[in-house]
Parts: sequence; structure tokens; C-alpha cells
Amino acid sequence: MKRHIRPYFLFQAAVSLLLSSCAHHPDVPASSREAKCLPAIFPDYCDVTVPCNIAPLNFMLPADQYEECVARLTTPDGRQQTYGEGVKVQIPESEWHAMLDVSKGKNIKVEVWGKATNGQAKSGNEEKGGWMSFNPFEIHVAEQPIDEYLSYRLIEPSYIVYDYMEIAQRNLTSFEETQVFNNKVSCDDPKGQCINCHSYQNYKTDNMLFHARVTRGGTIIVNDGKVSKVDLKRDNTISAGVYPAWHPAAKLVTFSTNLTHQVFHTAHPNKVEVFDTASDLILYDVAKDSVSIISNDPDLLEVFPSWSPDGKYLYYCKSVPLPEEMRDKDIRTTYPKVQYNLYRRSFEISSQSFGEEELVYDAASADKSVTLPRISPDGHYLLFAEGRYGCFHIWHHDADIVCIPMDQYTGDALTAETSSPIDLTLFNSEGHSDSYPTWSSNGHWIMCASRRDDDNFSRVYFAYFNNGKVEKAFLLPQEDPEMHVTLLKSYNRPEFMVEPVKISAGEFARVF
Amino acid sequence: MEVKKRNKVSAVFLYVSLLAFILYVVYTLHINKEVLYTAHDRSEFIFGAPFFHTLLSKPFGLMQYVGAWLTQLFYHPALGASALVANWTLMFLVGAKAFRLKGNASALMLLPIACLLTSIIDLGYWIYIFTIRGYWFSQSLGYLAMLLLLWAARCTPRKWHLAWYLLGFCFYPLLGWFALLFVLCLVLTEKPTWRELIGLVLLVITAGIWRALLYSNQNPDDVMMAGIPRFVTPVDSNGRLSIPFWVLGAVSVLIALYSWFMSKREATQIKLMWFIPVLSAIVGIVFISSLMFRNQNYIDEMRMIRHAEADNWQEVVHMAEVNKQPTRTMVMLKNIALMNEGGLLDRSFKLGNPGVDIYNPDSLHIGLLNIASPLVYYNYGKMNYAIRLCYENAVATGFSPFYMKMLSRCACATGEKKLAKRYNTLLHHNMFYGNWQPTPITKTVSELQNSFTDELNGVENNSERFIIDSFSHSTDTVSKTASEQALFYSMIRCDSGSFWAALRKYVKMNPDAKFPLHAQEAYIMYMDKSPEEKPIMLPVEQAVYDRYKKFWETLESFVKRGLKPEEISAKMRNQWKDTYWYYNIFGRKAI
Repeated sequence: MKRHIRPYFLFQAAVSLLLSSCAHHPDVPASSREAKCLPAIFPDYCDVTVPCNIAPLNFMLPADQYEECVARLTTPDGRQQTYGEGVKVQIPESEWHAMLDVSKGKNIKVEVWGKATNGQAKSGNEEKGGWMSFNPFEIHVAEQPIDEYLSYRLIEPSYIVYDYMEIAQRNLTSFEETQVFNNKVSCDDPKGQCINCHSYQNYKTDNMLFHARVTRGGTIIVNDGKVSKVDLKRDNTISAGVYPAWHPAAKLVTFSTNLTHQVFHTAHPNKVEVFDTASDLILYDVAKDSVSIISNDPDLLEVFPSWSPDGKYLYYCKSVPLPEEMRDKDIRTTYPKVQYNLYRRSFEISSQSFGEEELVYDAASADKSVTLPRISPDGHYLLFAEGRYGCFHIWHHDADIVCIPMDQYTGDALTAETSSPIDLTLFNSEGHSDSYPTWSSNGHWIMCASRRDDDNFSRVYFAYFNNGKVEKAFLLPQEDPEMHVTLLKSYNRPEFMVEPVKISAGEFARVF
Repeated sequence: MEVKKRNKVSAVFLYVSLLAFILYVVYTLHINKEVLYTAHDRSEFIFGAPFFHTLLSKPFGLMQYVGAWLTQLFYHPALGASALVANWTLMFLVGAKAFRLKGNASALMLLPIACLLTSIIDLGYWIYIFTIRGYWFSQSLGYLAMLLLLWAARCTPRKWHLAWYLLGFCFYPLLGWFALLFVLCLVLTEKPTWRELIGLVLLVITAGIWRALLYSNQNPDDVMMAGIPRFVTPVDSNGRLSIPFWVLGAVSVLIALYSWFMSKREATQIKLMWFIPVLSAIVGIVFISSLMFRNQNYIDEMRMIRHAEADNWQEVVHMAEVNKQPTRTMVMLKNIALMNEGGLLDRSFKLGNPGVDIYNPDSLHIGLLNIASPLVYYNYGKMNYAIRLCYENAVATGFSPFYMKMLSRCACATGEKKLAKRYNTLLHHNMFYGNWQPTPITKTVSELQNSFTDELNGVENNSERFIIDSFSHSTDTVSKTASEQALFYSMIRCDSGSFWAALRKYVKMNPDAKFPLHAQEAYIMYMDKSPEEKPIMLPVEQAVYDRYKKFWETLESFVKRGLKPEEISAKMRNQWKDTYWYYNIFGRKAI
């Protein structure tokens, strides 16, 4: 579908090109003191493993401690180039990609010098003012690329009120970010509109969907590039569709249906609790516009459906029964006891029928709650987010990503002890929420939404995954590394795509 | 000779009128200086690409961005006001050239200035809830840019005007409705030809073309009305506040028509129109004064918030002493000030606790929640709620310095150092916050913060009610300050049950403290009217007891005379308004 020409972005691209052609290549300081430590760069790209097609890993030294930064990058072929202007190191895309091309499977050596601000006393090795040289670090360039596109919803970490929100897509090989849809373009009611839960079939965008709520609400479905709006609330469902999962081969989408609420802690650091008082699973047939119930246990909560890559299993989370004495209590009392385990059902595509429920991972036995399962593209690994309770881990400081090899599962439920989880120490953050894990289409990159930077704004972190080994996580690169500070929005629901959404916001708006 | 004399008289009229208008503008800005400070405090300007790109993705966005940047100047109201006046002075001079207003006719340019001044002082409580970025300067800047274009266009030969009409079309993304106004004014200042017809056609189709070309992801209304401020929230809307902008457009059109009409008249005839300056100044002043939002509590409330933000509690108490009819927000801040300064239970009812409703001619859905709730929650140690309310408000109205400062203070109080650093970094990029650091949490706030156990609560839209209820029920505390608050708010609720529980806890937590005056008053009253089975026995001052007896004697005498409650309230007010009894009987209001 023909995309609208966006002169503004073209203008921006032209300006960026102009600026990049004038990249600053400063001299390395003639003299400096050794800091004998790694530089405190933001984002932390020291010794990370990155895709061979990723956008430049621009970074900066803390502006309150340094006034200048110079970085020298050395590629395996011995070529060197310096960068740095002020405290920021911003590498032109063309030069960076040339460096990546010659460094595939090898390392780029990075040496950093920082000129401390006068009057700012630093660590014991630093003096007031003057250049410091830090221990060099390496950027390991993997042979495997990352999916070219990433989409996410940009929204303030808000509580109830929302205003402008957008689903955006980012080219991961550059800094280009364009808008898929926003909640203003088709909304003429002051009450506003909420958009959420963008989802794609097999990382492609010809079959995709997202929801719009409140004003002119519905689920926007793209079926072979054709846009339509459907109402998934049927007489026999408790709500419209919520968390979606496209079947990898058929025009079928599984949704959870949820009655979701949120309440606020008066003092707890988690601040917000989001929970369901009821949730079921439904199957939506896109071609027939029909909804069938997959699972609707009246006493338990089923949520977060996710297909295995071969489409033969549907994974989902389901709550464990509350202790007898708590069943009639208010959710405000029982919420810390609501825990989810991971289940699956086999699926027969020809008859569209599901098999019996199997307990795959018993998180509750370790006093944990599992959410958001994702099977790796090769089917060998399972990623999920795990916290102590509940289903909305982005607000839970203790939430981490867990990865278990699926070959451990032989029909008996796995537990924390028996699942032999992969070591994700370099991927997770300690004491900060890590949630919404995803695989890239080639299975070599994992991604999550993490609040590790300040416990408030979610940011996207990636890590290299190879044969069950995970490398250090790195933050989504930005043209201006300070953007992660100045952007007062969270990256919500990051999803990989192998191609951009080709339908413009204006075209989406026509179905409202 | 006669003509010369007339010219002199005419010039005197012009200068006197200008002087009168200037003095009125300066006076108006002066009496609204607290509004201007609040304008900066509640206006979003965030350093960095995201804010810039967000605004630039909309027509008129650049003007809004520059306007948002300039709004920072209101940190020093005189500085911001000077920038506005400088803009308007340029408007006056350029406008006279652009419309070719000679002699006394130049005074017509006072009318657009009056519209623009009115637009910034007629907002009232919208200042806390409106969502238009860069509002305070963007309209003045846009109008100045429009006049500069008009001046430039009229300096060129007529055959070039077609190019200027096209340029007006091209400028739409930058200037929004001012680009259309430019085209319209240029069309009207010339004798109609085929070029002007094309100009008019362009005028009609410009917004539509730009929407198709560049703004297909924008709401059609936002593109078609680009730059015209609209005052709409999910629950409120106001057309009155758009009047100055419609009048601005209409006045510009009339001046353009006047310019065209007068271009055919003799120069002497034009100079002799002595009444134009007088009329322009009078109309301008009347327009401004008739639409200006004037209410002393509105201003005092802003000043009190400013002092409370700076933890200047002494000044807050002083303002409470002076103001006899405080709003509910002011009452809440006064009680926080007394908590910090000491004497809450001895002075609060003397200074008055029944707050009056805000002056709200537009019936806005506005209250403490929008005006000062994060500040109040922070000072009561309820950090999560302060943070939440900052977000709820800032998401709609912008991450202004007020919310950034509060968020930073809250993050410091909750130990979220990285988050505090983010807010500080953003604030440090603002013009006057380069060295700003959050005031460390005080012992009192810290004590309150640690005195509550965590609870889960739902959606609370009534901050005042929530605070009163949560404090009056929080008698299970080991904090002296919290026990004082529990006692105070149980008295505010006029709830004898929670009063007795709170008093028992207060006495336990403050065994050596003097029995505070208002607590004595409440104690006597509840012993008399709502005695417990096992009352706590405390000594009260004889004078207080005697006064209580007299209060009831007076009250009963009025009741016996058959007076209505409101009449009794009025008659007893002067003598008894400083007592808890008066508050309990006449003062409390449903919140």
C-alpha cells in the first residue's frame, strides 16, 4: 500500500544527513590521567554483544561530571576513528555500519576519554578538571542481524488519565521512527481514545491488529493489508478481546477477555496494582468474524495466550485457586495471593479444536507468578516474565525474565527446580521490573521492557541469545543518547517486526 | 495655521491615548504578576528532541515551541511581561506599517494588543487545566509574524502578491491561522483582481491541502483550526475564552478594510481623525477590563501555593491571617503551614476552617485536585498519591516546572535517586532552574511518610475528602505528628467516634504536651453532646469551659427567638468564629 509522503520526516532525514556529513572527529587528548575503570557511559554499552545491523550505539558521559568526551573506535582491520562533541558521542550511521560490516563476528575496541568539569571531584583517580582516560571496552558484533523493525506504544507511565498516545515503529538499523497510529486522529470526543495491544502475525505486518477503546472503540484488524474494525465483545464473552496472539499460519487470533481493574498503593514502592477479576480465552476467526470460547473457567483466570511457532500449541497463563479461606475476600486483600502458572493446549488446525490442558510450568510452587510466555522461533526455549504475584509485572520491582529449555518438558509440570533455567543474570536487572519478553524472528535476540533505569519509565533492552547463552543487555540506541532522559514516556509492549507497517495513520483512521 | 493647530491637537490625543493605554497595560500586567508566575510554573517546556518533535508534528507547532520557551521568562513576571510588551510594541510599529496606518490611525493597532492581553488574563482557573502548549506567547508571536509578512508583502509591487499568497499557503505549517489571516488581510488591502480571487481560493483550501500532504495523522479539527486556542478538557469546554482570538481576527480584517478605504482619502483628512486614538484606547481598555478574570482569592491562592512550594510556611500563615474568606485549597495549605510552624490545634479554627468555594463563573470541574493536590499530598507524607496526582495532571496539562519539582521531591523522599536525577536534569535545562535542587524532605514530612501502613485504594477524585478521611481514621500510629493530624481531622469531620479514638492516641503520644485550645473546645463539646461510656478525663481551662457555656446560652437564646440557622450563624459569627464550636455547628460543609 502506498505510504503517504512525510515531508517532515524527509526534512529531518535531510538535516540528519547534513549533520552526519559534518561529523565531528576530535583529536584524542594529548595527555590524560588513567582512571583505571570503565567509563560511566550512558547507555552502558561496555562489552555488549550487538547485532551486525544495529543503529549506532551513541552514548554520553554524565553531563554533571564531564564537559567533554572523546571516543576512539578501532575495528578489527585496524582502522580508527574518533567521535565526540560535548559529552556526547554520536556516530554517523554510514560510518557505523561500515565498522559493523568489517567487525562481524569480531570486536570493535572503544577507548573513551572524558574531561571532568572544573570543580567536580570524582573518584579517587580523578582530579578536578583535566582529561581522564578510561579502561577500553569492546563491542562484540554478532554474525546474526536483528529484525529490522520494532514497534511499541509510547505512553506516560500514567495511572488513570491519558492524553496523547501513539503506536510507533522504529527502524533498528537507523534512527528512523514513524507513527503507526495515534489516539487523536480519529477521535472527536473530549473523553479521548485509548489504543493498545498491537500484534502481528509472524513478525509481518500484512496481518496485524490493535485495539481502540472508549471513543469509537473496536479492534482494528489488518487482513492481507485490508483494514477493518470489529467489535469482539459478543454475548457470551465477558469483554472485547484484550491480549492477542496471532496463529502463525492461520487467520486466527487468540485473545484473552478480561475484566481489569487498577488500584493504588498508598506507600508501597510498586505504587500500582493492576489485576483481573475475571478473564477467559477466546479464538477469533478473522475470515468468518466468529468468536469461540477456548477456556472460561468461572473460578480461575486465563490470560496471555501465545502460540508455539508451529501453531500446534497454545500457551497461556492461568491462576491457581485461592486458599479456601480467602475466596470470598476483597481483591484488595487477596491480590498478593493471586499467582499464575503456565499451561498449554494442543491445537488441531483443521478442526480448530483444542486438546486437554497441560500444566507446563508450576510457578506457584515456588511462590511465583508467571506471565507473558513466548516460545523461541526454533521451539526450543520458553521465555516469560515472573514476579511474586499477579499478572501485571511492569509495576512489580521484583519481576524478572525467565528462560527455560523446552526439552526439559516431557509432560510433567516443570518447576523452578526442575526446569534448569538459562542464566539471565546479564539480561535481568536487580530489583527493577523486567517484563514483556520477546524473541527476534531468528531467535538470536531477546528483548524486554525494563524499568531498570529509574523504576518509572520503561525502556527497551536487547540481549544476544546463542545456544542457551545470553550476553549482557543493551539499551535501544538513540541518535541523541540523552533522549532516554528527555522522553517522558514509556516504551510499552515492544514487538519485533521484519517489515514496517505500511498503512498510514490516516488510512487506519478511515475505518473509525 | 488652523490645520497645523488641529494637527497638534490631534497628536496630543494620540499620545495621551497611547500613554493611557500603556499605563493600563502595565497596571494590568502588574496586578496579574502572580498569574504570570503561575503561567510559567504550570507550562510545559521540556528540553530535548521529543518535546520539540511532538510540537513540530502539528501545524503552528513551531510557534508553540517558541512560545513555550519564552513562557519560562515568567519565572520573573516582570521579565516575561517585558518580553510580551516588547512583542506588542513591535506589533504596534509593524502593524502601522503593514496596514499603512498614518498618524492617529496607527492607534487602531491598540485593538489587537488589547485582544492578546485579554487572552492571557481572562483564563481564570483554566490556567490549571488547559492543555495548550506555549499559549502565553505563541499567539502574540504568530500575530507579529503575520504583520511582518503583511508589511513585506505590501512593500512589493502588486504583481508579486500572487507569490505572497502562495507564500501564505506555504507558511501554514508554521503560522497556522495567522497564515490565513495574512492572506485575507493582504487580499482586503488591495483592489480586488484575479490575483485576490486566487488568494481567497487558497485561503479556503490551504488547511485541507496541508492535512492531506503533511498532517494525515492529525485530527482534522486540529489542522483546520491550527493555532486557534480551544479550551476543552474531557469534562469542560469554554467558548468564551476564544472570543479574544475571534475578535483579533475580526479587528485585523476591519483594519485591513479601513486601510484600503483610507488609502483613497486625503492625508489631511486622515490626520484630523482625532477620535480614533481615544476610541481605540477606550475600547481596548473596556474590552480588557470586561473580560479580565478578577478575584482576590484566585491571586492569593497562587501566592500561597508559591510560598508553600518554597516551604515558606510563615508566609502561608501570614496570608491566612490576612485573608478572611480563604478557599478550600488555602485552608488546606494553612493547616499544613500550622503543622510545620506549630500550633495547629491552637490556631487553626481561629484562622478559620470552612473554606469558601472558588470563584468559578464557568462552573469548571476544578478543585484542590488540580490546583495543589500533589503539594498537599507531599506535605502530608503521602508520596505515592503525590506522584500519582502529578502524573494524572501532568499527562493532560504538561510536565511543567510545578510537577517536575514535585516529582523530584517525591522521588527524593521515596529514595528513587535515579528518577530524581532525571527530573532534575530536565529542570536544569530550563532557563531559571539551572541550579535548582529539591529541598530535602523535612522531619515532619518524613515522620508522616513513615507513619502510614500501605493500603490499596481506588480512584479518589476528591483529594480533600480523602485526606480528611484517611487522617481521621489513622489513629493507629506511633507518630506524634500523625496523631495530631488524626485528632485535627477528626475534629474537622465533626465525628465524635473518631475524635475520642484520636484524642486518646494524641494524649498517649504527647503525654507532657499542653492540652491545645481547640482540642479542649472539642473535648468539652463532645463530653457534653457525645460522651463516651468510658471517657478520657482531662483537665480543661476554666475560661474555655465558661466560654463554652456562654456559647450555648447565646445559641439557645437565638433559637428561642425563632431565628433561622443562617441568621444565627451570621449573628454569632463575629464573637464565636474563632472557636471549634462555631465551626462544628455552622462552619462545616459537605466536601
